[in-house]
Amino acid sequence: MCYGDDACFVARHRTADVLGVADGVGGWRDYGVDPSQFSGTLMRTCERLVKEGRFVPSNPVGILTAGYCELLQNKVPLLGSSTACIVVLDRSSHRLHTANLGDSGFLVVRGGEVVHRSDEQQHYFNTPFQLSIAPPEAEGVVLSDSPEAADSTSFDVQLGDIILTATDGLFDNMPDYMILQELKKLKNSNYESIQQTARSIAEQAHELAYDPTYMSPFAQFACDNGLNVRGKSCSSSTAAVLERSLAK
Amino acid sequence: MSPVFPMLTVLSMFYYMCLRRRARTATRGEMNSRRAIESNTRALPINVEIVQYAKEVLDFSSHYGSENSMSYTMWNLAGIPNVYPSSGDFTQTAVFRTYGTWWDRCPSARLPFKRTPSTFCSQDYVELAFEEPVYPTAVHILETYHPGAIVRILACSANPYSQNPPAEVRWEILWSEAPTKVNGPQARQFTPCIKQINFPTNLIRLEVNSSLLDYYTELDAVVLHGVKERPVLSLKTSMIDMNDIDEEEDEEKFACGMDTLNKQFSIVTLREWPTNGYFDKLPYELIQLILSHLTVPDLCRLAQTCKLLYQHCCDPLQYIHLSLQPYWARINDTSLEYLQSRCTLIQWLNLSWTGNRGAISVSGFSRFLKVCGSELVRLELSCGHFLNETCLEVITEMCPNLQELNLSSCDKIPPQAFNHIAKVGSLKRLILYRTKVEQTALLSILNFCSELQHLSLGSCVMIEDYDLIASMMGAKCKKLRSLDLWRCKNITESGIAELASGCQLLEELDLGWCPTLQSSTGCFTNLARKLPNLQKLFLTANRSVCDTDIEELAANCTHLRQLDILGTRMVSPASLRKLLESCKDLSLLDVSFCSQIDNRVVLELNANFPNVFIKKSFTQ
Repeated sequence: MCYGDDACFVARHRTADVLGVADGVGGWRDYGVDPSQFSGTLMRTCERLVKEGRFVPSNPVGILTAGYCELLQNKVPLLGSSTACIVVLDRSSHRLHTANLGDSGFLVVRGGEVVHRSDEQQHYFNTPFQLSIAPPEAEGVVLSDSPEAADSTSFDVQLGDIILTATDGLFDNMPDYMILQELKKLKNSNYESIQQTARSIAEQAHELAYDPTYMSPFAQFACDNGLNVRGKSCSSSTAAVLERSLAK
Repeated sequence: MSPVFPMLTVLSMFYYMCLRRRARTATRGEMNSRRAIESNTRALPINVEIVQYAKEVLDFSSHYGSENSMSYTMWNLAGIPNVYPSSGDFTQTAVFRTYGTWWDRCPSARLPFKRTPSTFCSQDYVELAFEEPVYPTAVHILETYHPGAIVRILACSANPYSQNPPAEVRWEILWSEAPTKVNGPQARQFTPCIKQINFPTNLIRLEVNSSLLDYYTELDAVVLHGVKERPVLSLKTSMIDMNDIDEEEDEEKFACGMDTLNKQFSIVTLREWPTNGYFDKLPYELIQLILSHLTVPDLCRLAQTCKLLYQHCCDPLQYIHLSLQPYWARINDTSLEYLQSRCTLIQWLNLSWTGNRGAISVSGFSRFLKVCGSELVRLELSCGHFLNETCLEVITEMCPNLQELNLSSCDKIPPQAFNHIAKVGSLKRLILYRTKVEQTALLSILNFCSELQHLSLGSCVMIEDYDLIASMMGAKCKKLRSLDLWRCKNITESGIAELASGCQLLEELDLGWCPTLQSSTGCFTNLARKLPNLQKLFLTANRSVCDTDIEELAANCTHLRQLDILGTRMVSPASLRKLLESCKDLSLLDVSFCSQIDNRVVLELNANFPNVFIKKSFTQ
């Protein structure tokens, strides 16, 4: 699925559920490259890898690496870059394995509190780590991080945990307490409720992004870095939610 | 005579032939129940039909994609379709390495074996395993790009998932037809009319011939329809079909494993006749010449007719060039044993595709070569999965005159075994496509085989440093005319420089999907200037090929016939025009996914240069 420059996927293979999210770097638009092509193709490729079982649940960085390499195997000359976050829930071992490259990320919420979260990877302000394919003349000039540079964590999860992955559009505009508020409204674990919650979180983030008076987390951080910004008008924020439940 | 008589005769012949055909595959009890069903003119549904997609791709002869990738590789043929019913050049499909006749028209093209039966025209194959063995009722092949390559479908009696090795491995042809031209690249579901067989199968083999196609064919999925219980033949198959009559011969040819062919090879006692009539008047050489046009099975049948012809048919002069590839399903150790006495003078031997699933053993192969290897000049062993280190050792020891060795897709040969090849100093052609040859063995080969003219290292993933390899080639293989470095992952401009300086006779160079070559280093310009004899140059998916490179080729490589620059953004129509004007012999130009070359440009170039096939693939 693609939302603006963002893309995400949810896939399953045997005992593993995998969430992935990628935020296409918008700066490519100035060079005539559609930023959503890279993120979308990356996520679709990772989804295919998962569905065909070409991965190890405890190695989400492997999914990113293989997905990125597959992009280079495409006859079509892809250009662009994106962040990426892959989260693998291994239902047989009750563990969550994560890989995060850049400033997208995940949250794990248990009993109304955040118990795990990803760290942002930035080179400098508003320049996250990113996977990229550059045109030959720009090799070495364009930022290109290796998939191996992704942050990788593994931890146990419990029944009832809520796992949320999102691009920076969410985390930059909605502070934790607002996200937690929305998640509290999640009454049951059926597909429709979860989808509704994810949608409403994303919508709220979107509204806040365009609110000129709102001091978002991003704006706060920008101020701390000496920039005068309000909201963060980014084109997209994508949220995918997975609830760890017995039924699955 | 009234017209009724001939009609009755025809009808009774008709009925007799139907009964005879059904009798081959039925018991008496079933015959009775079939008659009962016929008289009711209704077929009762006995079996539930099972529909399956392929579970696994077991074996194949080539593919376009990279080993370990899921783009354009044969493994995409398993499972549900990913693209169908869309048409286009998509990564999620199964694509073979070649298409058309282009590879037959370049410097590395090999002479075909004569005496190939007209019914065998397969160029590539893929073997698929399904979960459940069934009696096939239909096979659907979902082709999503340039369909029409399938020429043969076979079913195997062996279950690849059974724990015990099969007692007998039997292959039956479900369908076979000469390649026909299919116009257009559009996707289609191909459902040929398959023969009913009398054993359940979960191993299907497709054989393809892409020679009539305009571009790479792409396959998405294979669907096998079948029933678990042996089916009663329905009324439909009782209709007389001219193909059935030929098929009876085919059944005799291909059914019941190897015994038929082996019997033909074996020694037969013949009655003595006093004279051979007119055959006694013909000179020996003339009879030999006539016999040289017969295929090998026909030669064996002829040997059983009389002593004179037996003598002729067993004469080693009839076995100077021998291709057993068309009979891959039937060749085993016994066949080789029977052939041994006749092949003592053999010079060209084609055992490609043979010997798998235990048909040929290492000792059987070694014995054969010990007797017959001394004159061997050309040895084809493509897809020989029974080959191991011992076999390579035997080849290199027993074939001192070997000039051509084809080990394409022999992926079971261990890396160090390739060291033996260095002993064959007379080698002129060596094909190691998709093998596990490793660095030191290859360096050794290059060092000692200085007569090498044709070398294929396509998809040789175990080589660590291609620059070193290229350097050795430049130093030692001065006679190199064609070089296949398809998907050589780490060759750089320094390797290319050494190659271009050292191998000045190069006419053919495949650098497709070599991502580490950057045009900005001047490597392509260097190639163009140093190799004026280039006829074929593939720079597939090298995203840095630019106008300067094309202009240099136009200026220096005027004999260019085939050029592939798929996927570059940096080549403009103007430089292509210069190229086409300068290279009068150009017949293939692949500009697929070149962003500056749109369909309008292609049309315009086609109009001005009608002798050139300009390929532009598409995904939509």
